[in-house]
Amino acid sequence: MTKLCRLTLMAATLATATALPVAAQTVTYATDGGTILDVMNKTLIKPAEDKLGIRVITDPSADRYPVVKAQVASGKPIWDIFDASAGYCARGVMEGLLEPLDYSLLPNAETVPDAFKDEHSVGLSAYATVLAYNTDTFGDAGPQSWADFWDVEKFPGRRALRNYARPTLELALLADGVAPADLYPLDVDRAYAKLEEIKPHIAVWWTSGAETAQLLVDGEVDMLPLWDGRAATAVGEGAPATFTRNQAIMEYTCLAVLKGTQNKEATLKFMNELLDPKGQAGWATDYTTGPLNTAFAEFMEPARLESLTTAPANIAIQVPLNAAWWASSEGEAAERRWLDFMQK
Amino acid sequence: MTLSRLALWIVTALILFFMVMPIVIVFVMSFSDSRFLSFPPKVLSLRWYEAYFGNRDWMDATWNSFLLATLTTLITVPIGTAAAYAANVSQSKLVRRMQIVLLTPVMVPVIILAAGLYMVYAQVGLVATKTGLVFAFAMMNLPYVFIAVLAGLRSFDMNQEDVARSLGVSRLTAFMKVTLPQIRPSVITGGLFAFIGALDETVVSIFIAGGENQTLPRRMFMSLRNEIDPTIAAISSVLISISFALVIISSLRGRKARTGHA
Amino acid sequence: MTDLSNAAGIARAERAEQRGYLLLFLPALLLVLVFLGAPLGLLFVQSLREGDSFSLIHYARILDEPIYWRTYSETLKISLIVTVLSILLGFPLAYAAAVASRGWSTLILALVMLPFWTSVLVRTYAWLVVLQRRGIINTTLLNLGVIDAPLSLSHNFTAVLIGMLHVMIPFMVFPLYAALSKIPQELTQAGHSLGGGAFYVFRRVVLPLSAPGMMAGSVLVFILCLGFYLTPELLGGGKTIMVSSLVQRNVELYLQFGAASAVAMVLLALVCTIFWAVDRVLPVEKIVGMR
Repeated sequence: MTKLCRLTLMAATLATATALPVAAQTVTYATDGGTILDVMNKTLIKPAEDKLGIRVITDPSADRYPVVKAQVASGKPIWDIFDASAGYCARGVMEGLLEPLDYSLLPNAETVPDAFKDEHSVGLSAYATVLAYNTDTFGDAGPQSWADFWDVEKFPGRRALRNYARPTLELALLADGVAPADLYPLDVDRAYAKLEEIKPHIAVWWTSGAETAQLLVDGEVDMLPLWDGRAATAVGEGAPATFTRNQAIMEYTCLAVLKGTQNKEATLKFMNELLDPKGQAGWATDYTTGPLNTAFAEFMEPARLESLTTAPANIAIQVPLNAAWWASSEGEAAERRWLDFMQK
Repeated sequence: MTLSRLALWIVTALILFFMVMPIVIVFVMSFSDSRFLSFPPKVLSLRWYEAYFGNRDWMDATWNSFLLATLTTLITVPIGTAAAYAANVSQSKLVRRMQIVLLTPVMVPVIILAAGLYMVYAQVGLVATKTGLVFAFAMMNLPYVFIAVLAGLRSFDMNQEDVARSLGVSRLTAFMKVTLPQIRPSVITGGLFAFIGALDETVVSIFIAGGENQTLPRRMFMSLRNEIDPTIAAISSVLISISFALVIISSLRGRKARTGHA
Repeated sequence: MTDLSNAAGIARAERAEQRGYLLLFLPALLLVLVFLGAPLGLLFVQSLREGDSFSLIHYARILDEPIYWRTYSETLKISLIVTVLSILLGFPLAYAAAVASRGWSTLILALVMLPFWTSVLVRTYAWLVVLQRRGIINTTLLNLGVIDAPLSLSHNFTAVLIGMLHVMIPFMVFPLYAALSKIPQELTQAGHSLGGGAFYVFRRVVLPLSAPGMMAGSVLVFILCLGFYLTPELLGGGKTIMVSSLVQRNVELYLQFGAASAVAMVLLALVCTIFWAVDRVLPVEKIVGMR
């Protein structure tokens, strides 16, 4: 009996010891891992911590939206703020997962164009899914369009595709000859039919951005669609590769706060620092992206601006993704169909 | 005969090479200077150890995992030992029948445990909490303590304890002074299994850890899913060394105890 | 102390003692019942619900939709192949350890222990490094001129097999070694003295006597394979989808808790059936006797 009492006592002590709160105010930020996070740590997150006297915990995670949904449903989210592809913020609003923003705490958002901000989310940066290929295999004469990617006779080699419907369906339709202007609403059946054609030739179905950079650096595949920032990083690290922005699908990441967060004020202050133009300029200098706070441009080298996602010359040849379509029930159904496609 | 023996040795050597080679490679790779894979590394350096020990996120996750493993051991060793003791001496049918229940955590596939724990924890707010993680790890590693201690008790002569009690010593004192010292190697082995088990637990961590309560294996998994970061080689080498040091220490102690006993 | 002299007192003391044992056993039992019972219970309940009402839709889906079928058959296939291969590779190791001198035997077992004590995650990482297109095997073979183009070793079925086999072999070696080391040397010698060749002795003496160990190892390996998650997820290139990945995706990616629960319940039923079958239909002695 004494033993049991001691055990209970010990368990109680343990429980209290583990439940003690951490001293500094913390904000948990869910984002992508790999180089993009390394650069953000240096240019945006660390300066924000120093300025605000908070502790930012980053939780790198490839598929954030379902986790956000589960966390909000539990009533006690672990994450405070997350970034995601814009369609998710639109869906998050519809599903009631996001805290409304208080723009008085977000002075930096003023120079973010209205198209990229609303009551619940604000745009962080633009990015594009570009087509990269191995220069050891193809020299300079690699595939230049999604139709080329599908052409296994003319461009033999190992291919990778994203293990996800968005924006792979867009790629399939562009490859099938659909004009960029006629893309939406997507012809889902046609897209999947076109995907069936290329499926036997896909060596790797990638799931995260950092993985794609690795695939290029290691020469694991000869061509793949991947995000421009990752492609540029891989090339910068010495990958024998190059990429084209022709027909690249352009979208943007949005920042939003999880509904029910315990520290909304600190979170919003941190969000404001993520939009800091100088910090964003530092970020875009080391990582190829397109900050949406337009004020960042004045802190940038003009030559570097040309290579960013949002440079006018690039926008002209890229195809914007329609996030609203993906947030619709049609888009959701198209997304769910992916698992069936993969398992066939 | 000799020919078949020779064949056996060659085959054995090849399979052992298959077993050990990847681990040796990770060890060597951790001292590489380059981000890219080249084996053997052209220049040796501690770059990836610096990347590991100098990174706050990795250090937090490491510290968390060690804390969780320690707490798990502190919980499982006493209650596992108590249960094994009861199972060993009790005549009760109920206790005997319930023994199998204590073994179920190792029989259920871990993905099922992980998914189930996640769903339960999501409802009661235990996801990504130390409490939730410790109790999940304790449940999963309890069987190892139970089995190890029960094996130790089976080879122990309970009459010794009865003798002590007949001399007027309380049951608890008799256990602490007479039984425990003799089954100590088993208790240590069980505790060690629980510690390493909790330190290594990945799948359950993937589901129920996160945020401030990140674990080392979870962070490693997330990172591995992304890229082949050589930092992982350094972390792996540290982990391998720790597991090995613990196993060797315990087996040396166990041997000493055994030879002393016999 | 005084009433110990009468029988009723002894009986009472005995009962009190038994209750004491029960109390000692209770914390462990509660830990398992709560933290294992609740998850399994919730999975079971959720697998039978759609929205707020009872429904068999999640089980019907497993029967109806080919993707679920395919995932189960793929999982069974991989598990079976890995089990057979781990017998083929584990047997020589266990046999060598059983017949070798003490020193060699310890060395062999220690080298099997080394990977056993290394976390699965670390070993999977090691295989990623070894098997990649620019990995160690490919670079070595290319440098030696054995091949002209790198082999596809990673991100596929082969990689999953290799990675899982590496994890499973120790689980096969230990029970096999336990069985083989119990075979008396005189028995094999007797076989030889009766004129049996090495193969004859192996087939008629060693193999049947090692059957219990092989059985135990196989069951263990097969069951571990069925629920294996890390290695297929990291080495499979997204193409080799096992039941475990199906559960994970349904939980974390699609938030289909009902579907995930049903998939998990069927897996659990499979595992339970195997344990039950091994225990009831095929007692270990019977397997030995059948040979």
